[in-house]
Amino acid sequence: MSHGAAPEHESRESIEQTAQTLEKLANYGLDAAKKLGADATKIATSASFQKRLVVENKVFSLANSLSSRSIGLLVHKDQKKGSASVNTVTEESINHAAASALALAKYSVPDEFLTLASLSEAPRAKPLPFLYTDELAAVDLVEIQGFMQEVLGRLTSDARIALDRFEMAVDVSCHALASSTGMRQAERQAMASWSFMGMGRDGEEVTGFDYDSGFALTKGAILPGCLRDSTAFVAKLLALFKPRQCPTYKGAILLTPRAVHELLVDSLLYHAGGRQVMDGKSRWAKSVGQRVVSDKLTLRDHPHDPRFSGATGFDSDGIPTKQQTLVEHGVLQMILHDCYSAKRCKGKSTGTSGGPFALEVAAGTTSKADLLRSHKQLLVVDRFSGNADPIKGDFSGVAKGSRLYSNGEDAGSVTETMIAGNFFTIAEEVLGVSRETELVSGGFLSPYILVGGVSVTGG
Amino acid sequence: MKDTLQQLLQGQQGFVELRYHKRTANSFVAQKGRVDVANHAITEGVGVRALVGGAWGFAATADISPRAIKRAIDQAQSNARMLAKVKAGPALELARGRLSHQQFTGPGYTELTQMKLEDKLAQVVKYERQLAAASARMHTARCQYKEIIEEKAIVTSDGVACSLQLAQPEFSMTAIAEQDGERTTGHKGAGVSGGWNCLFKHPALDNAVDETARIAVDLLTAKYPEGGQKTVILAPAVVGLLCHEAIGHTVEADFVKSGSVAQGKIGQRVASDLVTMADSGCETISGYAVGNLPFDDEGVETENTVIIKDGFLRSYLHNRESAHEFGVAPTGNARAWLFNDEPLIRMRNTYLMPGTSRLADMIAGVEDGYLVEGAGSGQADANGEFMFGTGYVWRLRNGKKVELLREATLSGIAFDVLQTVDAVSQEFLWDLGTGYCGKGQAAKVDAGGPYVRCKITVGGEQA
Repeated sequence: MSHGAAPEHESRESIEQTAQTLEKLANYGLDAAKKLGADATKIATSASFQKRLVVENKVFSLANSLSSRSIGLLVHKDQKKGSASVNTVTEESINHAAASALALAKYSVPDEFLTLASLSEAPRAKPLPFLYTDELAAVDLVEIQGFMQEVLGRLTSDARIALDRFEMAVDVSCHALASSTGMRQAERQAMASWSFMGMGRDGEEVTGFDYDSGFALTKGAILPGCLRDSTAFVAKLLALFKPRQCPTYKGAILLTPRAVHELLVDSLLYHAGGRQVMDGKSRWAKSVGQRVVSDKLTLRDHPHDPRFSGATGFDSDGIPTKQQTLVEHGVLQMILHDCYSAKRCKGKSTGTSGGPFALEVAAGTTSKADLLRSHKQLLVVDRFSGNADPIKGDFSGVAKGSRLYSNGEDAGSVTETMIAGNFFTIAEEVLGVSRETELVSGGFLSPYILVGGVSVTGG
Repeated sequence: MKDTLQQLLQGQQGFVELRYHKRTANSFVAQKGRVDVANHAITEGVGVRALVGGAWGFAATADISPRAIKRAIDQAQSNARMLAKVKAGPALELARGRLSHQQFTGPGYTELTQMKLEDKLAQVVKYERQLAAASARMHTARCQYKEIIEEKAIVTSDGVACSLQLAQPEFSMTAIAEQDGERTTGHKGAGVSGGWNCLFKHPALDNAVDETARIAVDLLTAKYPEGGQKTVILAPAVVGLLCHEAIGHTVEADFVKSGSVAQGKIGQRVASDLVTMADSGCETISGYAVGNLPFDDEGVETENTVIIKDGFLRSYLHNRESAHEFGVAPTGNARAWLFNDEPLIRMRNTYLMPGTSRLADMIAGVEDGYLVEGAGSGQADANGEFMFGTGYVWRLRNGKKVELLREATLSGIAFDVLQTVDAVSQEFLWDLGTGYCGKGQAAKVDAGGPYVRCKITVGGEQA
């Protein structure tokens, strides 16, 4: 049996055929592992077809068509595990992968907590129909070029924009999970995505590098979404010229939604993570039901919401996903467990293996303008580049793409400004949350958040 | 496979490049007495680039049958024709350079591929147990081994016909020590282009178990360095990070064309005259660097490309396309991560040339400053602004190492910092062999250098 590469043009019919082929492959892999002596097996299969165009230095530079498949096996044998994957999906390659995974398991270390999701824990997930449309799946390179040509006009509207790279792709994919416990999940998706990278250059002056990205799940959403994102990208780059020195102070900074993710949410997820709890690295192992951050913060996961690129019906253990609140008005609602950490911690999986998938920080009630006016001088931090110690919470690094506001007025971008602080301090000292929210690269929705207790050192 | 690819090229119109690439990647992670990862992965296929009407088309197939590869050639040519209709500007052309006909088998390839996976896993588990037992204050011991086994064959319609087999193993260990709720981290790691024995003879892994544990434990009682502009001696890993992130990316020709800070600076002074910096794909100084490649993914033989010579910017890094545009020879810097990635301009082994000073003398010459060991994460910008994390720091006072301090952050404008270099050591080390560079695709790179004394902004303890 040779299943070869995916066909060049995916249609609804062919992706369904591909999904059936993946299911057969998964069943073959389960049988192969069992025959070789595996006690339990989980199989992940995927197939994708991508059409992608690249613009470099404002000129179309590459047209790309890619097809790929993969199969990965995780086996348990005598309470030991091994895994293997191959991208040539033939019986021979699957047999090789199963044998390799078992050989590794044989010499691994016994672990009584190894587990796979049972069928009762992992019933068939409810399909998310918005993930796939025939119309988007059928978009070809010529149509992608047409969209990009229009967006390129905006990206090159100012000669000072040095556009390093602009890409747009349409990916059609299906992925499936199956296990020897009877768990079966499958999902298909058609998604358009785009990204911009570049800087500003005016004579000898070169600004910092920046990037942005977005996505669409319908053909009709591609052009408006990409134009919107490109307009914001251009405006951001043009605003970086002629940076000034930021004053040195200790106090409040305003985090843009992107910085909220980097400086607040990443650390919050670390301490709410089941793996960190399991390994004694989390400060919040026994804090469910207790206030762990400012009561102005609420964090939710919306895996069934089409606004988010990470929307999915099931996690990588095969557990169906659901909307969940991680933090409600500062109170920790849950620890994010996969099946393994749940078993070690004597809990239940929260369906967040490989997740959370679609995070939203709840909007506040104050306008962004009022937050900007709240301090005589205020650094607005867009990105953070530096060191962060997740366990202690200390962070120190450069505030990239950042701006200074004086009495609510934009005083311009700043040069080489260092910020230092502690996650637990700023998460407690939340001074305000904007009612305006922004979606960051299609994956994270957040307001602007004003935090105190940060050391700002101007360069 | 090379012969099959050459047959498929016969009769093709225009430029066509076929690149077969099989990667076997094995990875093991042992921590806290368990094995978290024991994985074996094979990724195999053929990537096709076609140049038609002055435009590139790319396609890739995981099916390596002649019929499927032929279909991918047709698809790549069709993509190129589509793009040629809309492409503005002059039609691109390719510089020739030294097109390879090598059949290369890298050092350690046979040794590493013949060693059983389970034996490697058993070694990793053993090291983790040793590290866990190295101190009563150990909270977490973690050992990680990864190896990449590469097989490639590249042919082009203008004469490239080469193949390689390479082994790139890497090993790292991390210790987290704990005392009274305080936790600190020690880390050691190395990667090589070579076999198992070559890896574990890497100088960075000398006495690795004891050293990793000792650093973690000693840092429990250490203070943070004081922030500010300081006289600093940078260790080879930090020098390598500076060369790669803050200089190397700005001289990649595609980035130069886009407007990086290095644009238009060839021939200009950009550093102290003690600074000579290069990016090499061939054996340079010592043979184990991870980025050693006989040829790049366009089939161009690699070289030692001197970027800065005695303080003056001398060369950018090129693929065949940019080399033609700049009127120079390609430098062998076109690299693709997997078969289905198109080659991009990437670095290989990026380093500062050793100088004439001795480290001991350089330390003796510092009245008040720091010796910064170990590279953390780092980022640099189009304008040369950089920020790096580091491992640990030694306070230098009156010419002596007097106190171990915790990690620091370093920041500045790369070319400005290089202007302040006043001593470069004879001692040299490749020390970023566990590093991966990200530029849309990953790339396995190495970097290193001598010890370098300069002035730099240290971000230390919170104000």
